[in-house]
Amino acid sequence: MENGTITYTQLLREDLGIFRVTPDNGVVPDFKAGQFLTLGLPLESKIVNRAYSIASSPENKKFFEFVIRWVRRPLPGRLTSLLFNSKEGDKISWAKPAGNLTINDTLPNGKKDTRRIICIGGGTGLAPFVSFAQHLHDTNDKREIVVLHGASYVDELSYKQLLTDLENESIDKGKDNWNFKYRAAISRPEEWTNRAWNGHKGRIEQFLRSNDAGKSPLEELVGEKITKDNTMFYVCGWQGTIDGVMDYLKAKNFVSERNKREDGSYEVKFESYG
Amino acid sequence: MGMAEEIVTEPNYEKLCSNILNCNEHVRFAGFVNDKSQILFSSQKDNLDSLLNENEIGMSIQYTLDRWRKAQNFTFRLGKERLTFTEYDNVTLITIPFKGKLLLVSTEPRIQYDPIIEEVNLILTNWEK
Repeated sequence: MENGTITYTQLLREDLGIFRVTPDNGVVPDFKAGQFLTLGLPLESKIVNRAYSIASSPENKKFFEFVIRWVRRPLPGRLTSLLFNSKEGDKISWAKPAGNLTINDTLPNGKKDTRRIICIGGGTGLAPFVSFAQHLHDTNDKREIVVLHGASYVDELSYKQLLTDLENESIDKGKDNWNFKYRAAISRPEEWTNRAWNGHKGRIEQFLRSNDAGKSPLEELVGEKITKDNTMFYVCGWQGTIDGVMDYLKAKNFVSERNKREDGSYEVKFESYG
Repeated sequence: MGMAEEIVTEPNYEKLCSNILNCNEHVRFAGFVNDKSQILFSSQKDNLDSLLNENEIGMSIQYTLDRWRKAQNFTFRLGKERLTFTEYDNVTLITIPFKGKLLLVSTEPRIQYDPIIEEVNLILTNWEK
């Protein structure tokens, strides 16, 4: 494990925070957008470790950033509890980045993957896609990118400003230069906290559900039929979110990386947590 | 051999509210909400003006649910939450978790609460009858 320092903490809610970790040697190692980092903190003379998806992009060489939920039921997570009690300046250890929820740049046949990228993040499952979005932006990628974020409450829409800014930039520059869209869904619209929400209501996977005319909200957003030949899906969240997305996509003959075809092709990559 | 089908019976919230409302002269209101802030049923004593407007009722329910959810973060150490009291100058609010829902009861303030709690718990215990 390497040594680092918690250099920034921001609580969005009592149980949701953004944390930055700066390596003590000043070097953020190369990693791929979508990977995770294992963090460690001392507890009763032991080091407690846990992996968290990196929200910052590989081009950010100053720090790693994370958006983390402090889940406390049925039991509070040990490392996350420590993290939410940490102060800026506290020491933390970290291991090298790892993980396979990374962007495919080539197809199994070796050709460039130019398919549209749809990212579906439930809760803090948004983190890898914040990294995706910044990385694709900073590397001048020309693919169409759509980030969909599902949350229960409006104050859980972490990175709303950053992602909205990226979409506004897309509108300003034109989609030939930067083609990015961001939408969020709130699953508890009837609660008082969400009274002013006028965006998509319901679970995030409902963006894939076809209406009576046979078109899904996602297809209306991108302006064409979603097929396995024009779109690649990346999904991160609770298993229920993954299952919900796969229910819609399997019906359209999409297959996931874990069940790829004989020729190595697939159209869905996912990572579940919890 | 066929599998036994589990029969889940939903409480009759209308009947429960009616029984709670009439169990004690000091009870003003009884209602059930689910964890999505939806009021399943509620009733109030006749000839009483509501102390909160519609928006404030929504806010009050949200605060109650928020407090209930946060209280559950201690369940692993303290056990299940059984009830809460909040006594204001003008009203007392009582919440009791019931089968994944939340019972909201309001009463006149500064009264003997024990008989009301006993009555309400008896009604909830015998909800199937």
